[in-house]
Amino acid sequence: MSGIIMGNTLRTAWKQMLYWGLGLGLLGMYIVFIASNSDIVQGYADLFESLPPALLTAFGASGAELFRTTEGWVVTILVSELALFLSVYAVLAGLAISANEEQSGILDVVLSLPISRRAFLLEKWLGYALLAFGTVLISALLPTLTAIGLGIDADIGIIFASIVAVYPGALIVLTVTVLLSTLFRRRIAAIGAVTAFVIGSYMSNIVASSASGPIADLLETLSYFSHVGGESIVSGEYEPGGTLALLVAAGFGFALSAHLFDRRDIGI
Amino acid sequence: MAASSVIDIKGLSKIYGSGSKATVALDKLTLQVQPGEIFGYLGPNGAGKTTTIRVLLDLIRPSNGSASIFGLDARQQSVEIHQRIGFLPGELSLWQGRSGAQVIHYIASVRGDIKSVVKQAEELAARLKLDISKKVRDLSSGNKRKLGLVIAMMHSPDLLILDEPTNGLDPLVQQTFHELMNEFRDKGKTVFLSSHVLSEVQAICNRVGILRDGDLKAVQSVEALTDVKFRWVHVQFRDGVPAEVAQGLRNLPAVSEFNADGSHARMRLQGDFDPLLRTIAAGYVEQLHVEEPTLEDIFLAYYSGEGAGA
Repeated sequence: MSGIIMGNTLRTAWKQMLYWGLGLGLLGMYIVFIASNSDIVQGYADLFESLPPALLTAFGASGAELFRTTEGWVVTILVSELALFLSVYAVLAGLAISANEEQSGILDVVLSLPISRRAFLLEKWLGYALLAFGTVLISALLPTLTAIGLGIDADIGIIFASIVAVYPGALIVLTVTVLLSTLFRRRIAAIGAVTAFVIGSYMSNIVASSASGPIADLLETLSYFSHVGGESIVSGEYEPGGTLALLVAAGFGFALSAHLFDRRDIGI
Repeated sequence: MAASSVIDIKGLSKIYGSGSKATVALDKLTLQVQPGEIFGYLGPNGAGKTTTIRVLLDLIRPSNGSASIFGLDARQQSVEIHQRIGFLPGELSLWQGRSGAQVIHYIASVRGDIKSVVKQAEELAARLKLDISKKVRDLSSGNKRKLGLVIAMMHSPDLLILDEPTNGLDPLVQQTFHELMNEFRDKGKTVFLSSHVLSEVQAICNRVGILRDGDLKAVQSVEALTDVKFRWVHVQFRDGVPAEVAQGLRNLPAVSEFNADGSHARMRLQGDFDPLLRTIAAGYVEQLHVEEPTLEDIFLAYYSGEGAGA
């Protein structure tokens, strides 16, 4: 692995990372700004206490008590939105790894160069995985710095850590997009399948959080949203097992993608 | 012989799809290309030219058979092979938002030895009158083709694989391309090019393979391919084509495709000239012109199943 393809990926796509990071960071800043007003936070907490549990789950919270603290309010409102928006970013980044270039025919030129398919895919995946981390980092830094600047009464470390904890979910979506691109070849088919994966995962999380029993437990295990640790970080119940599971799954997903990509025809 | 071949294809088949939807793109293709030759790979669209090239580059996998380049397996040792080859696809796609120079620099960096490769690329671009400071999206199709040629040749590969290389190039640049190919061959390097431009193949190729429906119909030197038994004969009579001459020519077994238009007669002669000369002597012949068959004629003969000797 020479790192040239990865370096080129970073050079050509860093602006995308910056714009997405700034956009999501601005959203975080806005939510922190609202949270600086304790009356609004309390008003929300009162309102959410009156909501049924299923509706609360749709907002990314398992209970209304989370809304009583400023960091709980910020994390609960922000993290579920960030996880969804970052999934969109991850799909676009995943398509840029091989699907876009395969569809346009550029891959014919690239793969006629002295680089193996596996190395090509690995370098691009690592490049976009780094860029996704950069996006999450910018998304986390802007609201965190805003919270410090406004001097709000909250645990700033929890806000920062909760946002960064979204990253493994984005990595999973990135990897699933690559995997589906290698399976389906046609970009539009990969987009459809990965969209179904993201929406299915989101809905599974909502259903699993609102119900109990073995099926609900299974849905919770399968949904990557349920392994994004925002709420558990706030409540102090965070265990790194879920995050680790997502990272390992991403690694396996990539290995499978590379294996399939190495075996199939290109551009047909 | 095969051990020293630059390209050695043995029993190569490629079938797309399966069951009733299966399409045979290549059917047990066997072919060798020798060092230092320019090999023309001729065939109409859908004949299997691009499929052959894609197998050689390991972009697609054969259903059966094998292909090797420089004695290395095209599948297992593709990275080593790609180090020594240059490739121009039939439909070249590059990054639209990058300049030619950026594309060259990126590809040179993947190949290694950036400085000398970029220098060589700049020299080639100057010869082809290509402005590499322009973005790819702003280049005409001909200029994109030139950029593709620069990319294929800039690292001085031992083998060039070119898919319809002169598509979209103006005649002057085609001339430069022919010069480049001849210089390349003079250095002992090898070119494998697919084309449907027969004059181009006639001008620069040593040998030609004719492909039809995935089946290699013939592999011959260009000289042997054009050394066929028929000629086109044009006769200009002073007082129009006499009726008895026209009838006599039509009756000659060696003459076919006879056409008379005013004082001009055109026919295909397959055999000796003497019976024809004796027949036209009944009229006053102003001009007699014998035309060698073009590669186009030969090409059509192969596709109609007659073969070159027809």
